[in-house]
Amino acid sequence: MGETVGNLIGLNDEVIHPAANLAVEAHNSPSKQFLVKKIKIRHDLSSVVVFAFSGSMLPKDWSGQPTFAKTEIATGEFRSLTSLNDGGDAVVNGSFLRRFKDVIGNLSKAKELKEATEKKRQVVFAGYSSGGPIAILATLYFLEKQTPSPRCLTFGSPLVGDRIFGHALRREGWSDYFTHFVMKYDIIPRIMLSPSSTEHEQILDYFKSKFDRKNINPAPPSGFYLTVMGNASSVASYEACRLMGCRNPSLDIIKSFIELSPYRPSGTYVFCTGNGNLVVVKNPNAVLQILIHCAELGESNTAEVEKRSLDEHSAYLSELKDCLGMQAVVSLDGGPATATLNDLGLSPQAMLCLQAAEEFENRRSRNLENFRKYLEKVEVELEKMRKYKENAQISRLGYYDSFKLQNEDDDFHANVSRLELAGMWDEIKEMLKEFELPDDFEKKREIIDLGTKYRRLVEPLDIANFYRHSKDKETGAYVIGGGPRPKRYRFIQRWLEHDEKEEFGSRSESLFWADVEQLGIDIKKKGYVQEIEERIQQVERNLIAWIGDRSLDDDVLLENSTFVKWWRDLPPQHKPKSDRIEKLIGEMSERVTQGTKI
Amino acid sequence: MSQAPLFSSAGELANLVVNSNLIDVAWANIPEIQIGQAAFPCSVEPMDYSPTPNRTIVVFASSPNGTQYPLPEGGHLVQSSLFQFLSPNECPSVSINRAALDLFTSLESQLHGLKTKLIEREGQLIITGHSLGGSVAALFTLCLLDSMDKKSKCRPICITFGSPLLGDFDLQHSQWNSFFLHVVSNKDPVPGLFLPSSRSPSTSSHSQTSVYKPFGTYLLCSEHGCACFDDPDLILKILTVASSEVSGELQVVDYGEMLRNLKNKAIWKGPQLAGERYGNSFSEGIVMELETIGIDTAKLNIDINGMEREARSLTKKTKASEAKKLNDIKKAMANLEWYKKKAEDEKKSYYDCFRNEDKKRHVDAKNFMEELTIYWEDMVAEAERKPQKEGKSFRTGWLFAGTTYRRMVEPLDIADFYQGGDGRDYINSKRSQHYKLLEQWYKEAAKPPTREDLDSKKKKVSILLTEDSCFWAHVEEAILSCQSLTNATSTTKQRESSWENLVMFGEYVMEQIENCAVSPEIFLNGSTFMKWWGEYKAYIHNFRNFYSSRLVEYMKRGSYNQYG
Repeated sequence: MGETVGNLIGLNDEVIHPAANLAVEAHNSPSKQFLVKKIKIRHDLSSVVVFAFSGSMLPKDWSGQPTFAKTEIATGEFRSLTSLNDGGDAVVNGSFLRRFKDVIGNLSKAKELKEATEKKRQVVFAGYSSGGPIAILATLYFLEKQTPSPRCLTFGSPLVGDRIFGHALRREGWSDYFTHFVMKYDIIPRIMLSPSSTEHEQILDYFKSKFDRKNINPAPPSGFYLTVMGNASSVASYEACRLMGCRNPSLDIIKSFIELSPYRPSGTYVFCTGNGNLVVVKNPNAVLQILIHCAELGESNTAEVEKRSLDEHSAYLSELKDCLGMQAVVSLDGGPATATLNDLGLSPQAMLCLQAAEEFENRRSRNLENFRKYLEKVEVELEKMRKYKENAQISRLGYYDSFKLQNEDDDFHANVSRLELAGMWDEIKEMLKEFELPDDFEKKREIIDLGTKYRRLVEPLDIANFYRHSKDKETGAYVIGGGPRPKRYRFIQRWLEHDEKEEFGSRSESLFWADVEQLGIDIKKKGYVQEIEERIQQVERNLIAWIGDRSLDDDVLLENSTFVKWWRDLPPQHKPKSDRIEKLIGEMSERVTQGTKI
Repeated sequence: MSQAPLFSSAGELANLVVNSNLIDVAWANIPEIQIGQAAFPCSVEPMDYSPTPNRTIVVFASSPNGTQYPLPEGGHLVQSSLFQFLSPNECPSVSINRAALDLFTSLESQLHGLKTKLIEREGQLIITGHSLGGSVAALFTLCLLDSMDKKSKCRPICITFGSPLLGDFDLQHSQWNSFFLHVVSNKDPVPGLFLPSSRSPSTSSHSQTSVYKPFGTYLLCSEHGCACFDDPDLILKILTVASSEVSGELQVVDYGEMLRNLKNKAIWKGPQLAGERYGNSFSEGIVMELETIGIDTAKLNIDINGMEREARSLTKKTKASEAKKLNDIKKAMANLEWYKKKAEDEKKSYYDCFRNEDKKRHVDAKNFMEELTIYWEDMVAEAERKPQKEGKSFRTGWLFAGTTYRRMVEPLDIADFYQGGDGRDYINSKRSQHYKLLEQWYKEAAKPPTREDLDSKKKKVSILLTEDSCFWAHVEEAILSCQSLTNATSTTKQRESSWENLVMFGEYVMEQIENCAVSPEIFLNGSTFMKWWGEYKAYIHNFRNFYSSRLVEYMKRGSYNQYG
């Protein structure tokens, strides 16, 4: 105890209630896309600028085709919202995305936003109910643009994105900027865990007439709770199975027969228990379990809970007024504290789910610790490889060609190192695929660096091995989409490209040898057709650029290398950059001669 | 260091199943059909019901009479050749419950047509049935799985309601296991019908130990909740308890009503545990799950610690660790290849190098050999535990690698065997089962070589491995035969048989040479093969001067210098 919500989420407590107020007001002002308000912080007299978004209770603004309005998002302004390994792009609710796109033009131009940026004021995007998703997407939009980190506050917001969405947020280190307030029984934060249905429409209709104020006390729908919560509960059960390490192979078969909602919570959740206490949870798996389990039926009858699930959606202002600034806040992370969880009224089964969610995080940290030891081993093997390359350069053949010949003991030892390293990186690759490493693993500087070093040093040997055994005849060229190139290299390349904010596929210097080898083969097959000519020019351009920025090692330029021999054999008219490259080869030759003399 | 907590997910999996509409869909049409079918013991009605496109549902309904008053001796198991395909190579026979098998056989021609039709379909296929109808549904699904290949686009799942146990076969090591979901109420006596009642004294002449084996996942339900288990022993125990508690009053369980109740229960807070938490997440979870379905763990004597140990050993095998393992195996192979290359650099075959002990390198090679052997013995054993057809498709993925392994490593085992000089008859006395199976499978899968294959083989024979991994064993035996011929103590009979062996060996070697199936390294100076040739040549020279064969000519002419 002893901490307030503001402390835990890194925002002044004085902001939260006015932001909630503005969010509710904006939600019910459909004539304006958003409202803005400046809030002065008393103790340091700084200002926070809050933008809050209007809402809509029309079913078309909540759902759409395909089921769950699933829309892949990772393009253009949301390029980070993707998995850097096999997981694909993040999925968001397409209807929410469309509403965001309607707003973003005017929001970007808003003078209050410009002013806030100039005066370095903290910007907060806030949203209540269906205004929440817009606040979330707007915050992401500006995070991608690297404007000074905005914050996001939502109150009773529906879920917006899937598992990859949350993973990407945590990988980028943005997760902490999002805070979502949820009442214990409020149906809206759970509604997206269930497919759109007549029950959905009943709920939305009810709120629409309520917010429109045409009808102050509309008749609440009934009978929806079982359907919505049943579906939500199957999502929670499925995730619990995964967290608990379910080994029953039927799980996958059963899953393939049912369509579960793709949406999952992300960011920090603040659960309002209804008795003045707040529970702050960051572990996304724990959030999902609490969302479902704390709203389960207990002693009270279904109709009562159903009514509460509607009423609580309108209770944020009064609830927050009472408990903000109070010290009665508990953070769940670091272990389920039984005492507070009693406020949420969780069952023993729910406690097990929370324990499993916590254990999953612990396991990821342990895996990372194990890898720290492991990465030293990678360094050792890479050092061996570096020495191998150095020796090969002295013998004037270059390690690529030496390895391709496999004549010397050194070549053999390099092959063993290659396999050793492949084993380690393949293991990392599989663990990432299963989310068994921390979300920010692929964003860690030392890991990107080590991976890139590995890729540049060792992938040429995989290519040498590939063309040594003429494997292209069985599988096609080394580099084709989804082709034989080992995935570990593709992923590592992507980490770097993502980190440098480059296009995917732009950092393919480790593929230089494959381009050369394949061109040699294709020239024999096709002759100097235009496509080949373009590829030769590309190879020349790449060589000059990559030698220039040192991302490609200069031993491709050794007199006896496959590249130089191949390039020398090309008819002169196909070598536009002839002089430049001859000069590079010459310089290399000199360097080697000097090196040997010393 | 304390171990990481483990969990039992039986309750969560059951919740997922109950909350999804999958079993509702499976159950939906059963009651209606059953009413119409009262006159027949069992009927089959393939129905295309499409809540979404690409979904086919096949319902097998049985009349209530058929299960309420099961046939006398209905519980007997009979051997069935029809389901022979279920047996893994390990155990040869399969028995099926007589009642179910009779029904299935009576419908066989109709079902055959249905099977052919369904296999062509795309998308989800739900095969379902109640009671004995469920048994037929399961048998039909098994036939369907056996007929499917990689190209099949239909994805089946079999869901039975209150069906009796089906047979003595075991699918625990098969992927097929995951296609079966059996829904069982603790009020339903039928599923445990053929089990020896736990009430009847075990000394009774009627009691027999059950040979029935459950397979697939059981969704076990009570009025309080449900749990999914797939451990056959545990399921047997639970079914036995349930059947003994309800026996006497055969009532028909309304599964539709039961499912509705479970759906309601699913979003209720579970029962609050009396007393303190157990402190161990696994046992706490499993005790709760079993209590929910009406099982008292203390009374039933369930070994929860044992279950936890097993779960723990299973969690160690992950995709990540397998990826690492695979690369380790590649590494060991690369090391042996290098060992072979080093031997060749010294103008020796690696067989002879290994046979004649080469200091440290020898020890290293031995370690890699052992690592590889353990790995491949496991792979072969795993393939052996699966139903035949599945085992076959499982192994095609790695048979090529397995063959390279066999050709590389078995010669070293042979070298080890004959090294001391006491080894006799490796092939029949010492050869490991996994080599035999690898060879047998390879022969089953290999296509007969074409002319072009042979031509291209000729070009690269120098880098090929000797195809017959027992080649060196034949050579060693030939040497022994030579020795027996010249040994003064040998009987005439022994000599005759030795000579016969040598003639056969000559034919064999010549055939290998003509097919480019041996590595040229066998002709290297001082190799065991050349040692044999020396002894053989001397013997012919001294005792059978006029004898000749194609191999003798080939060797005398020195044609082998042009080989490879």
